[in-house]
Amino acid sequence: MAPLQADPGIWPTVARVSVTLNALLLLALGALWARNYWQFRSKHTLGLFVFSLLLLAENVLALYYYMADPTLATWFATAVPAIAWRAMMLLHVLETVALVFLTWVSWD
Amino acid sequence: MEAVLWYVLTGTRGGPNRVRLLQAINERPRNANQFAEALDLDYTTIRHHLEVLIDNGMVRKSGGDYGAVYLTTEQVDHHWETVETISEQVE
Repeated sequence: MAPLQADPGIWPTVARVSVTLNALLLLALGALWARNYWQFRSKHTLGLFVFSLLLLAENVLALYYYMADPTLATWFATAVPAIAWRAMMLLHVLETVALVFLTWVSWD
Repeated sequence: MEAVLWYVLTGTRGGPNRVRLLQAINERPRNANQFAEALDLDYTTIRHHLEVLIDNGMVRKSGGDYGAVYLTTEQVDHHWETVETISEQVE
């Protein structure tokens, strides 16, 4: 068996927390837009709702790859070095910041 | 203005209530208390929605702080067709 890589440190945890947060924010936004679509029946609210669904799918898939997929989860946990985790983590965290702002403007 | 109307009225949590409020304002300018009564909403809720509508240039305030009357802006009047399209589905 190949030797394990150096410990990637905190980045996998930050990435998973960030992806989970993305999924929760998208669930809230999706529920809001679904409710508004139900009421307005406009293509605008439908577009927002579908957008939130697809971005939610992206995040749920990422979480699945990181934590549950039989092949990928093992690979991510043991073979991915810190530099790669840091790069991916940054993408997820940027998405979290974007979603926090979108939720902030949509929640009032 | 079009995009602002769509997002503020249909993309946000308070959108449906703001559509009702905007219609009520267009029907007849009134003060916050009267809108609260007419729409059966909390006074603070009405104040919040009025602030959002003012922030987005859809409503303006006329008169002093106490008992100020709220009216639609020229911009919104100009795009009233869009508001009508949006509100067709709200009660």
